[in-house]
Amino acid sequence: MATRILRRTGVSNEICERLKRREIESCKDLLSLTPVEVMNAAGLSYEKASVLLQSVSKAIAPPFTTALELWKQHSDSCFSTSLPALDKLLRGGLPRGTITEVTGPSGCGKTQMCLMLSVLATLPKSEGGLDSSVIYIDTESAFSAERLVEIARSRFPGYFSSKERVLQMAARVHLFRELTCQDVLNRLERLEEDIISTGAGLIILDSVASVVRKEFDTTLPGNLIHRSNLLSHEATTLKYLAHQFNIPVVLTNQITTHVGDQGSAVSAEVDSSFVTAALGNTWSHSVNTRLIVQYVDAHQRQILIAKSPVAPFAVLNYTIQKQGICIDGNDSQEILYEGTDPGLQPIRVRTEFNYNLN
Amino acid sequence: MLGYVSWRDVLKKLTLAVTMQRPVSSLPLSPGMKLKLVGAGFQSTADLILLKPLQLSKETGLSQQEALEVLQAVRKDGGGGEGSTSLTALELLQKEEETRSIITFSSQLDAALGGGLPVGKTTEICGAPGVGKTQLCLQLAVDVQVPQCFGGVGGQVIYIDTEGSFLLQRVIDVATAAVRHCSLLVEDDEQRAAMMTFTMETILSNIFLVRCHDYVELLAELHLLPDFLSDHPRTRLLVIDSVAFPFRRFDDLSQRTRLLQGLAQQLVAMATRHQVAVVITNQMTTRLQGNQSQLVPALGEGWGHAPTIRLLLQWAGSRRLASIFKSPGNVDATVQYRITSDGFRDADQSEQPQRKRPRTQTDQSASSQPDRRLLRCLSDV
Repeated sequence: MATRILRRTGVSNEICERLKRREIESCKDLLSLTPVEVMNAAGLSYEKASVLLQSVSKAIAPPFTTALELWKQHSDSCFSTSLPALDKLLRGGLPRGTITEVTGPSGCGKTQMCLMLSVLATLPKSEGGLDSSVIYIDTESAFSAERLVEIARSRFPGYFSSKERVLQMAARVHLFRELTCQDVLNRLERLEEDIISTGAGLIILDSVASVVRKEFDTTLPGNLIHRSNLLSHEATTLKYLAHQFNIPVVLTNQITTHVGDQGSAVSAEVDSSFVTAALGNTWSHSVNTRLIVQYVDAHQRQILIAKSPVAPFAVLNYTIQKQGICIDGNDSQEILYEGTDPGLQPIRVRTEFNYNLN
Repeated sequence: MLGYVSWRDVLKKLTLAVTMQRPVSSLPLSPGMKLKLVGAGFQSTADLILLKPLQLSKETGLSQQEALEVLQAVRKDGGGGEGSTSLTALELLQKEEETRSIITFSSQLDAALGGGLPVGKTTEICGAPGVGKTQLCLQLAVDVQVPQCFGGVGGQVIYIDTEGSFLLQRVIDVATAAVRHCSLLVEDDEQRAAMMTFTMETILSNIFLVRCHDYVELLAELHLLPDFLSDHPRTRLLVIDSVAFPFRRFDDLSQRTRLLQGLAQQLVAMATRHQVAVVITNQMTTRLQGNQSQLVPALGEGWGHAPTIRLLLQWAGSRRLASIFKSPGNVDATVQYRITSDGFRDADQSEQPQRKRPRTQTDQSASSQPDRRLLRCLSDV
């Protein structure tokens, strides 16, 4: 929208020519100027420059709606996760048009969650799905088609009883392997076409963190800002796509050690560092919902709702089984009225490793 | 011998001479016309004041139409004589007492703010992720609609969402809770009648929503807002959630500063001219100072001058605190709040009852004093 060319918004040719000489060709270029700069560039009086700005603004400003109209249009505004306890807390499921992040230590179940959601998205609406394709952007080569099929067969044995249905489901999951930051960005820039051609109803990016952390060493000066800019660009593009197509976007993130303040008065024995979500504070602002997965012990794990516009802070216990994620029981520890800084919530990592020696 | 010249004439000529001494280059005319005027030797408006259009056009080469435009601009400027109207502080005091505030439903925060967020001023809410900035904005979007007989403002709201955080389900929860709260307070017929127009559906219909995806769309929308506000005179609240997100990735920081300044000026102008409360949310950014990293409000130091009131929402362990750290009329204070399923509320268990009678003259002067008993500085900002 912002890159719309001025000529096509009804601005007179004469003014377009004058602006072109100053390299002002798109609406974005014009609106980035102050009114005095517009006067000088277009050779107009203050009033006429204001009129020009008004007409260009009208051409690209998004339309107003009311919350009531929104209510009437979108009866299904959530993507059910097929985990009733989680859906209940999230008031229906993962909200469409927003970014949901799943973050946690390795091996905890992030990719399993993504695979499970992929299966769900392809199911027909009668089974609780979105009846659409899935765009799965894989940066860690962790996607396993066999596991996808196993989850489908185990979770919905009735529906996936025939091989044909399984193959149909698998054909609807479109996998893109991108291994560098630039590749990921290029893919996101072109994603609009892919969404339309595949009829996608869900975008999964697994994971956001791996490529970024490989290429940016944040101890070097300047890299932190550069990395933040890149991530903000990704977030903006994904939010735009999510909103325009009214689909959910799911990302995975990794963990990092948050070092306690150096030079504090606390004695050196007390370790004030802890493990938390990676990619920093700005990224924590950019995601709409943050779900943290963490370990309790070797088998038992937990989902925490760390950031959500609709749900309070809550903890759910789950295990990973053949059919994917299984939430234990219906009791969630809802810690009402408390909350957590989603960028600083400590995450429990795996401390035991079981060996089966046969 | 010059003849008798009264001191009054001298004074008049002196004042005229002083007010007319404006250089031609500062007039709101197109650069081409200004070039021609200066080229013909007209340096200040004093040179132009006594000319007629035909003579001006012959001397400068401007067309007759353009010459007329120049003279009108000059006359409007100097000959007006009145200048901008000035107010006395007494008139402002009366105006301020009439101006209502938008309650937040957290009585402690309202008290610290002197009644709530003031209409006609800009307020910034900054804070860490997930602390409740959007929740407070959603609460305000509902609170601004509370009818006047309940002590509210009874206005409409424009909500500009740049992050996609406006989730309808949450708004419905907050609206339903507000309706329930007010219906428990009904005491007379006027309030009963007002409750007919304060329902969940009407609340939703009074929230004008627009989603901007980048800073250009945001700037475009702001150019169009003055007309929208004139068409919808009942609007009392403008929310921009957030102003930081579209400006986070900017390569040219000086351009960003310029654009933010222009944006701030537009917001202040809209707030005063159309009597709306402008609420903007800001994010936090990490600032590295040697070994230490610190979270500070984003968008730079210069941005801090723009809003009249700045609120900082922060985490203290698992508690949420709201601090006022810039306010011309109130002392800096920190209160604890929480987010419940009903919305933004006090941290105490018992809910404070809202005022039951419409505000009278004495009520207003009492509530405009900050309640000093509640000023607890729990932490340094």
